[in-house]
Amino acid sequence: MSIPRPPPRRTGLPAIHQVLPRLAWGDAVGNQVRYLQGLLRRWGHASEIYAEAWDDACKDQVRPMRDYAREADRDTVLLVHHSFESRLVPRIAKSPGRKVLVYHNVTPARLFEGFERKVAAACDAARDELLALRPHVEAAFAYSRFSAEELVAAGYPNVAVLPFAIDWAAFDTATDPALQAELDDGMSNILFVGRAVPSKKVDDVLRVFTAYQRLYQPRSRLVVAGYLHRDGAYGAYLHGLKDVLGAEQVRFLGRVSAAQLSACFATASAYLSMSRHEGFGVPLLEAMYRGVPVVAYGAAAVPETMGGAGLATRSDEPREVAKLLAVLDRNAGLRAQVITAQRERIAELSQEAVAEQVRVAFEGICSGTAPQRPVATAPAATVELVCPGFTVRPEEPASRLARRLAEHLPGARVLALRPWGEDAALTPEPISDEGVAVTHFTPDQPVDSNPRTALPGSSALETAVRASSAPVVLLSADTVSAQTLLPHVSARAWGVCEPASQPALLASAREHLGDRLVVEEPAHVETALQALLTTLATTGVFPRAT
Amino acid sequence: MRPEDLITRSPTAEAVARETQQLPTPSHEAQDALRQTLEAAARPPTPAPWPALLQEARGKMDSRYAEPATSHRGGLTGTALVLAKRAFRLTFQPFINEVLRKQVEFNESILDALATLHDVQREQARAQAAWRKELERRLAMLEATGTPTEPVKTEQQAPTPAASSKRTRKRGR
Repeated sequence: MSIPRPPPRRTGLPAIHQVLPRLAWGDAVGNQVRYLQGLLRRWGHASEIYAEAWDDACKDQVRPMRDYAREADRDTVLLVHHSFESRLVPRIAKSPGRKVLVYHNVTPARLFEGFERKVAAACDAARDELLALRPHVEAAFAYSRFSAEELVAAGYPNVAVLPFAIDWAAFDTATDPALQAELDDGMSNILFVGRAVPSKKVDDVLRVFTAYQRLYQPRSRLVVAGYLHRDGAYGAYLHGLKDVLGAEQVRFLGRVSAAQLSACFATASAYLSMSRHEGFGVPLLEAMYRGVPVVAYGAAAVPETMGGAGLATRSDEPREVAKLLAVLDRNAGLRAQVITAQRERIAELSQEAVAEQVRVAFEGICSGTAPQRPVATAPAATVELVCPGFTVRPEEPASRLARRLAEHLPGARVLALRPWGEDAALTPEPISDEGVAVTHFTPDQPVDSNPRTALPGSSALETAVRASSAPVVLLSADTVSAQTLLPHVSARAWGVCEPASQPALLASAREHLGDRLVVEEPAHVETALQALLTTLATTGVFPRAT
Repeated sequence: MRPEDLITRSPTAEAVARETQQLPTPSHEAQDALRQTLEAAARPPTPAPWPALLQEARGKMDSRYAEPATSHRGGLTGTALVLAKRAFRLTFQPFINEVLRKQVEFNESILDALATLHDVQREQARAQAAWRKELERRLAMLEATGTPTEPVKTEQQAPTPAASSKRTRKRGR
């Protein structure tokens, strides 16, 4: 294997290597790893990329992970990039030197359910690995506060947010003239860029586009640029959905070249993202850089990535989102305002500024002068009360029950969803809400303003519960978070459910909790409280429950 | 769209929400047709367990480990044979694992491919059913009213797409 000769190394500086499961050509993690390597070498560090597998185009940039233990010493720093199942934890644990996690976030497995059971299992395994890596690293970086919050919840020490470095010059590629001529025909082009996978919700992009085309702009076209696995279940679903919706002018381009992508952006009227999960959304910023107004569903780190520019919405209702596209189409002044705000956002992410922040962060790690962020100063909770709606829907029976339960269980902590629009906190300590200790976690998707819709899950909340060793009470065991947690914490969990819950969810809760599940009418909060306290007391876990 | 459902610095959420309220109201027919289409296309997230017809094969996927050792002979001979078989497996299991590793990987891949085919077929059947239902609905409406419910009647009020105006704002990259 031929390795390109790195720049001369400055003596005294530790080597900073990177490891990831697979080095791919053109994906966000691979690009980031290569960019960091360039920066580290420029600053005089020896820096190599180690991986278990790689694309053929990257074979000269990478070393096999099995060689790392032999080539590293105790002063070497290893940046462990984590975004998917790697099966590298045992090898990393045995390797010499210091280790730092770089977390790109892991897509919640539930977003692949019904389409990609193997990917869903791998995402679950990746979250297990996130917890397994914790004892082996001395610090952790994330590319958004949204991701950093999960690291704090998992108990990682010294968590910091690293700015995502983007090579803006790479976007200045000449356009593909053939594709540009084809798309530049006076129609309103709505663009989405990304792999067509269930978590990106290309099906919702289709729905919004259909509403836009039928209600506001018949002369419109949807362009989806990104790999689409046509032989997969999701690909089949998308093609079927396209027929059912009856939308005209929908183009699935598949994987495109840089020139073709430039043509897509150059002819786009608006960029539309309905993705349910982004650790950091590079295509959103690419659209901003190329002067295309962005309309995006504000899930996960999307609002943070957009930084107030573009139009982020908490509604995924196709007709509502279509209105935003229509407004951009019809009001030139408003459109210009959006584009100006997007340019200002891009200016905040200049390469020089980002490189300087990265340098400061790594210098702090190497010299041990990075600000130490405590894992937790407050005593651990005696019991974790999982009530996602506690703050966002305080009048719901589950929230009232959680409050009453917290009054009876000294040292209990309520884990709840953070209200829409509030920034993620990187402190593990709970806040006091009328005497009840509450820790808020950013939901994976915005909480819908309609109280009848189901509450979204929260990866950070679920990770916090899994990282804790305290007994768990799942108030409303039919919520997304409770259902996600059941297989992992059922041995130390109790739950409450309404009899009118969906039968499948109720059955799942029964299967995992058995006698520790209390099924009670929502209006009977006091009855549910007594039943739950009795159940807890009979098990002897909470002798102090009064 | 309500201002509290938006995050935008410039223009303000209020300004955007105001603009959305000033959009021309699409005809009732168009709205109703769209609502029904969206309802027909709705697909609640449903977990997809392993197809039942592949469950048995899945149970036999890992060919490295055989059934518990037995012998049809009785008495001491039978016991000795069972012990010998167990000892053999215990001793040679690491080698058996290595020999059968590729086979297990192949079994896993072929099962995945079969499951994918099953899922694709399921999605296609579901889409076809939804599509047929939607066509029948449109046909019933046509028969009932004698007038087409589509195409949409907002075409006359649709503005020139912004894409055409965008040609003037390219930045000459």
